[in-house]
Amino acid sequence: MLRFVLARLALVPPMLLGVSLLVFVVLRLGPGDPALDYLRLSQVPPTDAALADARAMLGLDRPFAVQYLDWLWRALQGDFGLSYATRRPVLPDLLGYLPATLELAGTALVVSLALSLPLGAWAAGHRGGWQDRLVRGIAVLGVSLPNFWVAFLLVVTFSVTLGWLPPMGSGTIAHLVMPALAIGLMSLSVNARLLRASMLEAGAGRHVLYARLRGLSERAVTRRHVFRNALVPVVTAIGMHAGELLGGALVVETIFSWPGIGRYAVSAIFDRDYPVIQCFTLVMTVVFVLCNLAVDIAYAWLDPRIRLGDDAA
Amino acid sequence: MSKLASLAVAVVMACAVAPAAGQQLTYSWPTNVGPLNPHLYAPNQMFAQASVYEPLVRYRADGTIEPWLATAWTVSPDGRTYDFILRPGVTFSDGTPFDAAAVKANFDAILANRARHEWLDLTRQIDRAEIAGPLAFRLVLKAPHDPTLRELALPRPFRFLSPAAMGEGGTTASGIKAPVGTGPWRLVETRLGISDTFAANPTYWGGKPAFARLVVKVIPDPNTRAIALQTGEIDLVYGAAGQIPSEAFLRLRDQAPAVSGAVSAPLATRVLALNSARAPTDDRAVRLAINRAVDKDTLVRTVLDGLEPRADFLFAPSVPDADAGLTPHGFDRAAANRLLDEAGWARGTDGMRAKGGRPLAVELDFVGTNAQQKAIAEVIQADLARIGIAVRLVGEEESAILARQKDGRFGLIFGETWGPPYDPASFLSAMRAPSHADYQAQRGLPEKPEIDATITAILAAADPAERKRLTAGLLTALHESAVYLPISHAVAIEVHRSAIAGVGFGATLNEIPFAAMRPASDRADR
Amino acid sequence: MIAASSANRSGSVAVAGALAAGFVLLALAGPLLAPHDPLAVDLARRFEAPNLVHLLGTDHLGRDILSRLIVGARTTLGSVLVVLALVLGLGLSVGGLAGMVGGRLDAGLMRLCDVFLTVPTFVLALFMIGALGTGLVNVVMAIVLSHWAWYARIVRGLVLELKTRDYVLAARIAGAPPLAIFVEHVLPGVVPPLAALATLDIGHMALHVAGLSFLGLGVQPPTPEWGVMINDARAFFWTRPLLVVWPGLAIALAVLAFNRLGDGLRDRLDPTLIAERGL
Repeated sequence: MLRFVLARLALVPPMLLGVSLLVFVVLRLGPGDPALDYLRLSQVPPTDAALADARAMLGLDRPFAVQYLDWLWRALQGDFGLSYATRRPVLPDLLGYLPATLELAGTALVVSLALSLPLGAWAAGHRGGWQDRLVRGIAVLGVSLPNFWVAFLLVVTFSVTLGWLPPMGSGTIAHLVMPALAIGLMSLSVNARLLRASMLEAGAGRHVLYARLRGLSERAVTRRHVFRNALVPVVTAIGMHAGELLGGALVVETIFSWPGIGRYAVSAIFDRDYPVIQCFTLVMTVVFVLCNLAVDIAYAWLDPRIRLGDDAA
Repeated sequence: MSKLASLAVAVVMACAVAPAAGQQLTYSWPTNVGPLNPHLYAPNQMFAQASVYEPLVRYRADGTIEPWLATAWTVSPDGRTYDFILRPGVTFSDGTPFDAAAVKANFDAILANRARHEWLDLTRQIDRAEIAGPLAFRLVLKAPHDPTLRELALPRPFRFLSPAAMGEGGTTASGIKAPVGTGPWRLVETRLGISDTFAANPTYWGGKPAFARLVVKVIPDPNTRAIALQTGEIDLVYGAAGQIPSEAFLRLRDQAPAVSGAVSAPLATRVLALNSARAPTDDRAVRLAINRAVDKDTLVRTVLDGLEPRADFLFAPSVPDADAGLTPHGFDRAAANRLLDEAGWARGTDGMRAKGGRPLAVELDFVGTNAQQKAIAEVIQADLARIGIAVRLVGEEESAILARQKDGRFGLIFGETWGPPYDPASFLSAMRAPSHADYQAQRGLPEKPEIDATITAILAAADPAERKRLTAGLLTALHESAVYLPISHAVAIEVHRSAIAGVGFGATLNEIPFAAMRPASDRADR
Repeated sequence: MIAASSANRSGSVAVAGALAAGFVLLALAGPLLAPHDPLAVDLARRFEAPNLVHLLGTDHLGRDILSRLIVGARTTLGSVLVVLALVLGLGLSVGGLAGMVGGRLDAGLMRLCDVFLTVPTFVLALFMIGALGTGLVNVVMAIVLSHWAWYARIVRGLVLELKTRDYVLAARIAGAPPLAIFVEHVLPGVVPPLAALATLDIGHMALHVAGLSFLGLGVQPPTPEWGVMINDARAFFWTRPLLVVWPGLAIALAVLAFNRLGDGLRDRLDPTLIAERGL
């Protein structure tokens, strides 16, 4: 198991190196002029002399490879430069906003699992009944609703009309409920459906038949043989949802004034604040990679076959 | 270092006893207030800078100047030397005395970073700052500059930081140790993306705030802000009309007695600049026709929900020196059509006009994320289509729009005058700078050199009557040339919960009179 | 793999298919079908309740909401269809090339895909917009660049599997050129599962377009777009909650239709492929 984890970890640095190169190249190929944006955000009138100064100061007059290596060398030391807009180091600010986003996305994941697993199992247990239809209906609807729309409807219903939940801010569990639900609804729906399907499939498997023949109780069969096997595809799905949950958090944060990374990133995009955009992309990628690593490990633990026939790609 | 200091402050505050309910005023702002360096710009938020730091003199709503940290001043006959007597007994919130040495240290720090303040004429005009006595300060200019006192009253950069809190070598250009001012509030805690907390300054020389704490929550979204007021997350909405959607404002205002609200007097003017250097708006007839074709009354009543009054001129007549006795280019679709007919713009089969094979089409540029600009642009597009002018809407991000203003790549573009105390002098001054939309819009006018010369004369005029005469002449020329399409006068709005009393509008948009606000129960004491 | 209630299911898939076809029709012919000019501002008729002239009422500028929704289908779904075409094109060529040629080219292309897959799609889309600037065209580019690698990987996997089939081997032994083999023998096997996946992705991508537009990064006015319509209408929910409801329903219905259709298509296909995407 340790070997497996180390092998996965070893893949992370080259991936990040590739992403950093991609990020750097695309930003330099884009139509914007970082020097102009730098001046604008510093509120310095963009005369030709000022532009030339800014180019020299930002190192934009050097060959591309030199720029990249220099940036990479600093980035490796944790120095992602100063935000053009705030004149503050980018990395500490981003890391300051990151926990709130992770808290939100993480809660969404927990909510999604906490609701989807019982719902999926319930539906599978009452296959064809109204319970099954209800869960399937929720699932189909859940993947179709835009998260920002759901967020807005939740606020109107539970804050404005009923006054049960705070419409904005952070700090207590009550603050988390609506944003986490809005973001997690998609994952919840997919997981519930997936678990239902895979439980039905696992329930039809041979080992379950043998277990029943051995005289195990229906409950024990479900718990020991059906549920555990049925979890495997759900775990895979979670790995894929990690990116969606993070993306959802970025969209919904504005609506709830959630103090996360999304607003910082979106305003950096509007401002063309290149150092922030670069660092944001890399930080989110690291988070995503670590999530997937965790999923891989959980997966290997649930299904030992994976570890043996490991395909690194 | 500044981090350490603010950490220390935060720790001190955390140990302090939490104030009782009712002693706290909760406001909101789209971002954190920033490190509150009084001599720098973004990300420092002006309203917060103005709450912590104070000027030598203050701008009053009637356009006059009142003593503040300076109790009296004299101007030499040649208009170049300003002598200020400083208020005695004022200290910074760290205990450092406020005296001529502190004032000079601040001016030195500002002038050491002169390039950054280039936009403000006064920084270019200052020759030197001198200590003339323990509480006497002298400012010497290179040339007479009439708006000097008004520019000293601005929220930045001419406000005062404790010299003990300045950065290396008494500079502020690359950061300060802590935000220490003389004002009614002290910044005590900043939580990234969540809130900024201010505490009343116990050593404040003036009227002390009734609230012990001012909490400014970070709320970027106007809809969320409106909901937050409704549900009691915040006590107060105050600021430019975009702080909350106008629908929400109207609804909240009518929710008495839980909530009440008010609209300020006109503060600035929303205008469209018409590019006189670019076809087809290089034709005065087209510019005039555009001015006459827009049904502003309907636009103001509907899109702006009647909150902002219609604007007929670049400046409201209430702005100092700006009442030039002009006749508005009133809404008259027939007259607009006539103007275009006479200028040879003939209607085609599709109803759109053209002259010599060139279609009468203009481009209207606006900030795509600004809902209000968007709605106004869409209405103007429809109004101009009725007189046969095709309008192409270009909604872009803010930086792109700024770039267009800078190099004149626009047909029609949104702008706004700067409001008091910048209007009219500072705003007129900027018309001479090529990086401003006003300069670009006027560039095609044959009388542009004359306009610039008049502005320079206005800024140097020492005699108020002469200044008024010159200003009137300039505003008349601009009005006749029709390079602006004034839309409405921007106002500030204010909505507060009934627990708060004493909410009024300040003389400028950026100075929020928090110190005058008090818990409503104070009023009901028997 | 789930045989349950198949009759019921295929019925609902047929309904979804009809609905999806309807949306595609709107996207293609929207402006012809709209009862009013979706851009016609009429300030005298703002906020009209649904009536016989304006079936869904009018918005804050007096524009017909139904017409804006219909033409908005073109913006939202039309851009998704463009995205899909580009993504499928890129996916088929890169994945096909990697799968058919193999060796170093395969390894190189797959590492490139890995780089794109390492970044969460929405973050990658945000980044691309940060680099390219806002606007619908850039949103389309951003979504293409953040999704193509999935398809390239899947196509490569399918190609590798199909390459081992007898009839492909036979064609190879017969000396047919690789391109001909790909087009004649491999492609027919790749397209059906890919079509199913792509259909499933339409809804997902439409939500991305709407989400980015909601953040103000996408479509510019006055072009109607569903996400922008929701964002615009939020300012008026206090008095006109229906304005937010209509475009939300439009998105939900469209996504629902394409998801059901995708499900239906997928269920008729090879189930092993599906597990790979976890959907």
